[in-house]
Amino acid sequence: MYQTVASLLKKCDELNLPIWELMVRTEMNFERASRKAVWDKMKHQLHVMQKAAKRGASGEGVHSPTGLTGGDAVKMRKYREQGLGLSGDDVLLAVQNALATNEVNAAMGVICATPTAGSSGTIPGVLFSIKEKLDLTEEQMIQFLFTASAFGLVTANSAMIAGAVGGCQAEVGSASAMAAAAAVEVCGGTPKQASEAFAMALSNLLGLVCDPVAGLVEIPCVKRNVAGAVNALACSDMALAGIENKIPADEVIGAMRRIGEKMPMQLRETGLGGLATTPTGLKMKIKIFGEEV
Amino acid sequence: MSGNYKSVFDIIGPVMVGPSSSHTAGAVAIGHVAHKLFSQKITKITVDYYESFAQTHRGHGTDFAIVAGILGMGTADLRVSQAVKIAREGGIKVKFIEHRTKSPIHHPNTAIITLENENKKIQIAGCSIGGGTIEIRGLKLDGHELSPKGPLPMVLCWIKDGQQELIEQRLQADDVVIKRTSQSVKAEHCLLEVELDKKPNQDALAEIAQLTHELVCL
Repeated sequence: MYQTVASLLKKCDELNLPIWELMVRTEMNFERASRKAVWDKMKHQLHVMQKAAKRGASGEGVHSPTGLTGGDAVKMRKYREQGLGLSGDDVLLAVQNALATNEVNAAMGVICATPTAGSSGTIPGVLFSIKEKLDLTEEQMIQFLFTASAFGLVTANSAMIAGAVGGCQAEVGSASAMAAAAAVEVCGGTPKQASEAFAMALSNLLGLVCDPVAGLVEIPCVKRNVAGAVNALACSDMALAGIENKIPADEVIGAMRRIGEKMPMQLRETGLGGLATTPTGLKMKIKIFGEEV
Repeated sequence: MSGNYKSVFDIIGPVMVGPSSSHTAGAVAIGHVAHKLFSQKITKITVDYYESFAQTHRGHGTDFAIVAGILGMGTADLRVSQAVKIAREGGIKVKFIEHRTKSPIHHPNTAIITLENENKKIQIAGCSIGGGTIEIRGLKLDGHELSPKGPLPMVLCWIKDGQQELIEQRLQADDVVIKRTSQSVKAEHCLLEVELDKKPNQDALAEIAQLTHELVCL
């Protein structure tokens, strides 16, 4: 297992392997499993992600039991069909898939946590957008997920990925950075460029708090995944253009950890601060749970 | 802060029913540990919540998620959201308690589960560290009390005092690293807890089961 991005890159360099291949081998060793078993399990995760993104944007969409979220992915799909978007359609497809996945999550549907359920829209947002753009094969999409998991493991083990521990930077921030790195590798960038994309994407979202209205994974979580997905695409492009972050990936992860540790409890998934305690946020909470909470 | 994530599927996964990997899927996983350790008909479930779990358990579906795990359901089981109803209809008393004090096991996502019937009572203190991954930091079983460091996998076996070395040797034979062990001895009975870097293989578990009164791999 790799405790730092630097050690991950060093190993790739030594063995002359892409990041995804190194992770397949690491997992086979850890699970005592065959290559096929590990590969097929990731394929299953991919299929769950595809199904959720499709479900959220189909028909009338999905709606959460509280009524706070739902239907926005469908609105975005219809808007895209008009072809009037300010952003290019690849970006809007990422927006749609991020919304769709998180709306399914809020509606208690089946999703794949990447790395968490609250941030489960970011990676599908990026992956299914570049799939269309670059005509990725299923094999490449599975490789993308292995690369993303390599960066996610380092982040989870050296900092945190739970909003209750480190705020939304740890959830959507981590997801965005993982997606940016994986997008770079699947587009033919080097492991070093992938780590630059990771560092830029995470740097951009440092300090993001977890302030869910009524403590529910709905507002602002669903739309924060859009921020994560779009940020990832921009950072992948920057890395592929040869732009560097200047602060290395491992140091950015360290910064996230220290920021998370200093973040007050009210802004770490308790629903006691930020958007959760705006007048409208509080009204929603009372409407859902009654006066006593 | 260093976490305990070992598999790529701790990060790309779990496949689960929403809305929260820590408060829903992680809660199912903590419940599932209690399920594995009780292995009898349950008449009463008590769940004590602390910190973030105490504040947000209702909205995140933590209640039904924990009970789903206790009933043996997985994170992607579509019956998860019905679990409290299913338990109560099955005659099980279910109670949730919100505490305003700090977590006794020092994590914002803490649940302490107590399972009982007329002749058995166990308690598990678990925390959900994010992305569906959990740690178990407290166990009260058959009069034994243990405080593991937390990370799984962990093997629990009820043995005769003195068998510890034999079991540790067998576990290590397959390139498994023992991170920590602890034991509790009551009369001639001993509960041994071994924390590992990866899951032991099935052959090792089967051989160790021969030596022990009872064995559970978490």
